[in-house]
Amino acid sequence: MSELVLETEKLDKVYKLGGRQVRALSDVNLQVKKGDFISIMGPSGSGKTTLLNMLGCLDKPTYGKVILDGVDVTKVPEKRLFKIRKYKVGFVFQTFNLMPYLNAIENVELPMDGTKKSGDEKRKRARELLKLVGLSEREEHRPHRLSAGEQQRVAIARALANNPAIVLADEPTGNLDSKTGYEIIRLLGKLNIDQGTTMVLVTHDSHKAALASRMLSLNDGKLLAKEKEGAHLLKKELICPHCGREIQPDDEFCPRCGKKL
Amino acid sequence: MRAFLVIIALGFSMAIMISIPQGIIANQEAAQNLTEDYNTTIVNMQEEINKTATLIEISASSGRGMFSSTPSGAPSGMPPAGFGQEEVFINETIGDEIRTIEHVKDVVPFLEKSSDETTSETISTPRGSFTISRPLYTITGVSLNSTFIDNYSILPTNIIAGENLSEGDSGVLLISLNLSEYYDVGVGDNMEIYGVSFTVVGIYNSTGQGTMGSRSVCMNITDAQTVTGQVGNVSRFDVYAEDVSYVDSIADVIKAAYSDLYVTTYEDRLTNLENMQEMYTQTLNNAESTLAQTQATATQEIVIAVVATSLIVLFVMLYTVRERTREIGILKAIGFSNWNVMSQFMLEGILVSLMGGVVGIAIGSIGASFLSSLLLPHISLFGGSSGRFQPSFGSTNPGTIGSETASAALNPELMLLAFGVAVLLGALGSLYPAWRASRTSPMEALRYE
Repeated sequence: MSELVLETEKLDKVYKLGGRQVRALSDVNLQVKKGDFISIMGPSGSGKTTLLNMLGCLDKPTYGKVILDGVDVTKVPEKRLFKIRKYKVGFVFQTFNLMPYLNAIENVELPMDGTKKSGDEKRKRARELLKLVGLSEREEHRPHRLSAGEQQRVAIARALANNPAIVLADEPTGNLDSKTGYEIIRLLGKLNIDQGTTMVLVTHDSHKAALASRMLSLNDGKLLAKEKEGAHLLKKELICPHCGREIQPDDEFCPRCGKKL
Repeated sequence: MRAFLVIIALGFSMAIMISIPQGIIANQEAAQNLTEDYNTTIVNMQEEINKTATLIEISASSGRGMFSSTPSGAPSGMPPAGFGQEEVFINETIGDEIRTIEHVKDVVPFLEKSSDETTSETISTPRGSFTISRPLYTITGVSLNSTFIDNYSILPTNIIAGENLSEGDSGVLLISLNLSEYYDVGVGDNMEIYGVSFTVVGIYNSTGQGTMGSRSVCMNITDAQTVTGQVGNVSRFDVYAEDVSYVDSIADVIKAAYSDLYVTTYEDRLTNLENMQEMYTQTLNNAESTLAQTQATATQEIVIAVVATSLIVLFVMLYTVRERTREIGILKAIGFSNWNVMSQFMLEGILVSLMGGVVGIAIGSIGASFLSSLLLPHISLFGGSSGRFQPSFGSTNPGTIGSETASAALNPELMLLAFGVAVLLGALGSLYPAWRASRTSPMEALRYE
């Protein structure tokens, strides 16, 4: 499990804002191994989203390399970049970003448009993914008939559609209540364990960040040198779904918040 | 809802595009028919004039004799006597006097009198309608002399029932088909004229000779004189010279002797024909310039409709792209190529304008004539200008030209063309918006609220 899925070298991003140069990222060196579940934490404006956009090929760095699954994507011409986005990366957004006029299963099928899969294969794959995120009963529902948590589950299923090398989740719990938020983190953790999907979770919530296997901190566009070991609790599924704190395997009630597990 | 309005708006543009060519085609057809009718009339008249080089027409009023008393159509093809002018008669002894002029071969008298029965008709013209009262039919008294009948074909030739009049007939009638239909009388039936009963012996076909002058009754001239109270009077004489070379001298003698009579010779008739040709040419020129004007207007309007349609599509699609910026961002983030995004929006634009095309065809097929008459106001001039000359000749059908304009059916080629144009304009109008959509940066688009 030492294969590198994602690597950045001396990543710099400079924006021009009203004639003034803003350095959003500076000298970011990041390595993500296959099967990793890393969290990137930082206050708003620290460059988290900028970094994620760079990793997901939505934006080009001013300087430096992004090597995704062995390919230096900064050298891929814009015209072919969509293929990297399609096959290598899965995005999960804070605001879910589902197509409002498509139902759950169609939303999941959407990234498979233009692939070699037949309609039946797409449907089969989408069905599997919806089952994986626990929404088998909701296939035909449109987003407005789904709860926020369910919508985010559909979005996660969609991110996995083309079996990407890495899933980038940008504040996926930002629009969810605490309980649902933890459920989503648990789901991501479960997919990481069961499917071996490499996850990058961006959040400003240190509790949630601490649930990843590796915790990185970003501040003023710089990755802090010291990297914490995450709680790994996700791997054992030993977190309280209500408050996210540590629990024991035989606990019936959460020792911290007292709710039934 | 918005899509619906857009489709309706597009539909109207398309309907305009469909209707205008139809109007133009209809106009062209009308002009074509007008030309053909005129040409036929001129040719027919020319032929008749040529056949009757030795004929000098003498009549008491200017309206007569222009072309009406040509041999083959003696009683037909002329307006009923008394329509718009007074009936004037000549003493028949003048015929005997003319007969004595040197080189005169024959003098054939005719008596024309309008019927005692009249009818009211409402005539609608492009400039409004009015009601006129006119005689139901014309009575033509013919001198039933076998020489005249054989040499000058003074009687109608196209008998369709019964038999023609012959020498010495009295108390009998030859009537036109439309009159027979009007009164529902056939061969052997009786018909009252000025209170006297006559037996119908034959019916001649009057179709193709116009509706106005063709209701007609032929009888022996002496019968006609008696029943109409014009004993000793006639309406006109057809004077035949022994040879064409004597025509002028005979005409001069007659003109000198009877200054109140109207004398028309071959040359006069030719001059008349030329005048008429000139009038026709003028009418046709007018029609052509009207047509050209109409076409220019139509071209402008079509261009406007095309531009309007493209602009509608353009703005709607620009708005749609703006409105769906976020969606575009998502699509690009999950791996849609620029081309995917562009083709999707192009397809949408084409679809919208295609639906507009369907609506346009629906509107167009219902209201094409209305729309084209609304948009091409000059069309009505055709009806007016051609109608002016209708009473002067019998071989055209009055009224048909005016009503033919802008009533052409919606043809499938035009519909197919409309669909093609719809697709083209949809593609044209959505090209730029779709291109802009495809160029949207996914990052910016995702930030867009």
